[in-house]
Amino acid sequence: MAIGTDIDPAGTAVARKRGPGTSLFAKAWRTADFKIGFAIVLGLLLLSVIGPYLLNLSPTQFNVSKKFLEPGLLDGANMPYLFGTDQLGRDLFSRSLIGLRNALFIGVVSVIGMFIVGSAIGMIAGYVGGWVGLVLMRLTDAQMSIPVVILAITILGVTRPTPLTIILVFILAGWPAYARVARSVTLSERRREYVRAAKILGASDLRILLVHIAPNILPPIAFVAVLDVAKMMIFEAALGFIGIGVQPPTPTFGTIIADGTKYLMNAWWITTVPGLLLALSLCGINFMGGALERSRNKILQGVE
Amino acid sequence: MLFALDFFMRRIAQGLIIVLLVALLIFTLLRVVPGDPVRIMLGPMVSPSVAEQTAKEMGLRDPVLVQFGRYVGQIAQGDFGRSFVRSAQGASTGGTRAADTFNAANRASVIGLIATAVPYSLLLAGLAFVFALALAVPIGIYAGLRSGKWPDRFALYLSSIFVSLPNIWLALVLIFLVSAKAGWLPAIGYKGFSYAILPAIVLAVELAPVFIRSIAVSVSGNLMEAYVSVGQIRGLSRSRMIVFHVFRNSLIPLLNTLGIQAVGVLLGSLFLIEYVFNFPGVGLLMINAVFQRDFPIIQAISILACVVLVVVNILVDFAATTIDRRLQY
Amino acid sequence: MNTSSKILDVQGLSVDLLLGSGARRPVLRDVSLSIEENRVLGIIGESGSGKTVLSRALINWVARPLEITGGKILYRGEDLVTLPQRQMQALRGRKIAYIGSDPGSALDPTIPIGHQIVEKLKAVEPGISTADAARRVVRTLDAVRIPSAAQRFQEFPFQFSGGMMQRVMIVDALVTQPDLLVADNITQPLDVTVAAQILRLLKDLQRDFNTAILFVSSSLGTLHDIADEVLVLSAGQVVEHQPFEDLLSAPKHPYTANLISDLPKIWEADTRNTGASIADKISDSEVVLSVRDISRVYSTKDPTKLFGKQHVHAVRGVSFDVHKGDSLGIVGESGCGKSSLSRLLSLLELPNTGQILFKGKDIARLNARGQLDLRKRFQLLLQDPFNAIPPHFTIGRTIAEPLRIHGMAGSAIRPKVEQVMQEIGLSLDLHDKLPVGLSAGQRQRVNIARAMVLDPELLILDETLSALDQVEQTKLLALFEKLQRERGITLLYISHDLGMVRRVCNRVAVMYLGRVVELSDNQTTFFNPGHPYTRALLSAVPSIEARPYDPEKYLLEGEPPNPINIPPGCSFRTRCPFAIEKCATIDPVLTPRAGEAFAACHLAKIVEAA
Repeated sequence: MAIGTDIDPAGTAVARKRGPGTSLFAKAWRTADFKIGFAIVLGLLLLSVIGPYLLNLSPTQFNVSKKFLEPGLLDGANMPYLFGTDQLGRDLFSRSLIGLRNALFIGVVSVIGMFIVGSAIGMIAGYVGGWVGLVLMRLTDAQMSIPVVILAITILGVTRPTPLTIILVFILAGWPAYARVARSVTLSERRREYVRAAKILGASDLRILLVHIAPNILPPIAFVAVLDVAKMMIFEAALGFIGIGVQPPTPTFGTIIADGTKYLMNAWWITTVPGLLLALSLCGINFMGGALERSRNKILQGVE
Repeated sequence: MLFALDFFMRRIAQGLIIVLLVALLIFTLLRVVPGDPVRIMLGPMVSPSVAEQTAKEMGLRDPVLVQFGRYVGQIAQGDFGRSFVRSAQGASTGGTRAADTFNAANRASVIGLIATAVPYSLLLAGLAFVFALALAVPIGIYAGLRSGKWPDRFALYLSSIFVSLPNIWLALVLIFLVSAKAGWLPAIGYKGFSYAILPAIVLAVELAPVFIRSIAVSVSGNLMEAYVSVGQIRGLSRSRMIVFHVFRNSLIPLLNTLGIQAVGVLLGSLFLIEYVFNFPGVGLLMINAVFQRDFPIIQAISILACVVLVVVNILVDFAATTIDRRLQY
Repeated sequence: MNTSSKILDVQGLSVDLLLGSGARRPVLRDVSLSIEENRVLGIIGESGSGKTVLSRALINWVARPLEITGGKILYRGEDLVTLPQRQMQALRGRKIAYIGSDPGSALDPTIPIGHQIVEKLKAVEPGISTADAARRVVRTLDAVRIPSAAQRFQEFPFQFSGGMMQRVMIVDALVTQPDLLVADNITQPLDVTVAAQILRLLKDLQRDFNTAILFVSSSLGTLHDIADEVLVLSAGQVVEHQPFEDLLSAPKHPYTANLISDLPKIWEADTRNTGASIADKISDSEVVLSVRDISRVYSTKDPTKLFGKQHVHAVRGVSFDVHKGDSLGIVGESGCGKSSLSRLLSLLELPNTGQILFKGKDIARLNARGQLDLRKRFQLLLQDPFNAIPPHFTIGRTIAEPLRIHGMAGSAIRPKVEQVMQEIGLSLDLHDKLPVGLSAGQRQRVNIARAMVLDPELLILDETLSALDQVEQTKLLALFEKLQRERGITLLYISHDLGMVRRVCNRVAVMYLGRVVELSDNQTTFFNPGHPYTRALLSAVPSIEARPYDPEKYLLEGEPPNPINIPPGCSFRTRCPFAIEKCATIDPVLTPRAGEAFAACHLAKIVEAA
């Protein structure tokens, strides 16, 4: 550190070129990992939107004469059923694409929800402090002490699961982690000189929170959010598997995988191949999240 | 020692409040959702008057807070109540027998059911931790020492791929390949230690990335601390600085990861994996209870899971303060 | 090729900085120097001159992106540049020791200091038993006058103050009785009295241990106290190398001559440059700020009691008046309460007792509207120019922010901002730029512009100029003098820098342990102070001038007591060399000595008469 300051006193400022959020994404974008991940996710997203129309195969229509077809990818005779068909003769590829679309939707929306709820509560707890902060943080701790799975299966097991209730449950289970980070960022930013300077100038608390503190919450949380999208997608699949996810006839990864367990020995592809597609999309998301995490660590450590 | 006393008294008091809040949340949740517990206990065939009478006798028509107060009172005496549907004789899971009255005595006690299941879950969890650490410690340390070089990248890709494998899918793929096709390991149910290996591997794959990241980041972070390079100027060798100082100080974040993240992940996924493998632990008990709306079991397991998390957190934080005394201030 | 008395002989050393693009920039060029046994060689240079790189290169601590490109570093004839890693390791720590400017991060924070020094001793002197090593460490801790050494042996780095930690590092360096000690800016982060103690200690130890010292510093005054000869480094090159006295009387290089003439003179009677000249006309003008007996106590957890709280008395009954056009300096060392006082004055916190009156109105009683209005009229400038302005705003936006907060119409903002930028000396081109790449001085100007845009009547400068180098500081001081002349604003300097205070303030308040112990005009404070603490401070200021206060007589030992357990009676008596019986029981209050001069000491009058 001392070497750096001795040579270039202004060098420490270089890391903060643009806003704290933009510089992080710009930095992550420069890595190959992020680009690969982004390409995978974007490709699969496009495929899941236009794929079903191109193939013109119904994901829900029974077709008993075509049941248990092996994936077309392995046995060309079974084209156009790329992933084969299930026990009712439904095309697994289009079912997987619909499942992916739903999973992505639920994952992204619920993470945005957690982020908004968590950041708001965390910022208030960190900025106001005192009793309000204490109560909010104890609530956060309590909420964090219920394993997500338990909360989700308790609520969804006893109510009728719809995409909306699933998203709400995920938000309910996931916000505390965001509240914690938002609070610690707020606590440290609040002590920063420029916040003190703004206060002395007469800025109101709301103004300080929104103008000065809020932009700093994104960088430490961005990678958590991206990784959480993947986590929520896995989770959505798990709920579907137990039978308390999005209900049939809408195809989800969970129900597809659960359907396949009965036929694991004679039709192994029903469970495994759609799962591979899910794993691939998760890989894309996690690559992006990993790249963001590393960029952030580098910014924190001051390595350019 | 004064610090330890103060620490534990403070944290246990806070922990009790948290557990109480969680209990209240779960309890209320189960009371406000549709579905009358009496119907679950007695089955659909029973007459409305009998159901109503039973409900009154059991206090199920009292306000939720009153019921909660009674429930907490029972818990304080170690009584978690009795299952709505399971009989005391065995693992019969058929819940809808047409009995005229509900006789609590012939239903299994919740604490007994949990006590039978806990050792299996502990075995599975312990094994998962051992597998995960055995994989993560060497990879994480190597990645941390060569931050930015290929071991670091390898660790990153490996953990990215591991977290991208949906646990239930991985479980089924392993059951299919390792158990059904190759016949190397048994998979469904529990008839001996070997039945725990495959589910433990699935859990370890989920845990390992968390450990790898935590170890790599804290080792490389500690390596960049000024005292490491100053130590070499003071005449100590680099290897000594790494083994006696960097590793030691990297334990603190690892402990935190173990405590908060890992136990949280485990408590979640353990349930799912036990269900997939039909492994007779707490998770299977819980998921079956959800299907049968067996509220006393759901409540008890939720509260106990919360207690486990709180206790682990307290212990981990205490261990951290003994390694780094600054945390005591 | 080397005489026996030369310990270190550096010949033509060059170091480059490798830049990312494959380009390289020289940091040191053809540096040659030598140091003989038992001598102290001072190295001076401004920041960026390469002195830290040089001090590290001498122990072969050069890592990427730095690279040694040429030259030899001969230690008793052996070239360290080409010495194998293994042998270098053995030499370091045992024969050549290094102490840096950041003692707080030099040791593992999680292990007691004694154990770490023992660990080092065993590593560089194989064969020594742990018990022997520990005995030697405790003995050396004693030698650097660390109180109750055996007990502190078991304590952790965070339990030591900066000065005590630097002593620990000195123990760590000297415990092996090395031939050569490289000390890189070791007094820089310390308070003046503590730094003076460390210097004195190092001089004594050097005599006892027969160690040659290479002492790097950015202050000529500091080198004056310790170095036999001085080497001047500028832009990576040696521009001058002379015995100290010759350097002062006959500098050969213009750079050195400038360095000497630019030093602020504290003890010169000529007051043309000092605030003292405007002292008289002030005292009868209007009182702008009146501080009346304010106190501030913070509660923290008491680690020695179950659920116990302890109270930190940060500010204890401070009173003073500031008149219109005044420049009042508030000086003191870390922990004296001046930063708490600054928070109270800037209305970030309220005092527990007492009142702060701004033009006769109690600021604690103002409603929100009144507070906002008040903020317009008095402003605070903070120390750190890098953190005090938001990094993601353009400079124009930053300066306009207060106008927006105070509800100025949008169209009027830009002209006002530009007018202030011109007045402060900021180029208008900067209006739409981000602060990135601005020098510390430029940033501080943005900071000043942001405060001045509201046309305040009172400006509090909380260590505002401490982070700047000599040249920038001089320019900004001139700016403040101009602003004060033209706008008639009142200035309050909160600072640890006595040299600066001597130059710009007409009145000075000296704080010790949360209390003002002396409040006098500039001339009296510096030449006839009434409090022994003021004299101790003055004796510790590094300077190349002849000093009226001999450190041997006035410099204090030890450090201020903990503000949690303040001793009864006079809080200074535990360190006061002149304490009398009365001091233990009766706490002296601030009493007038003559005219505008006050001191809180039972002996103040006697001292004045002497």
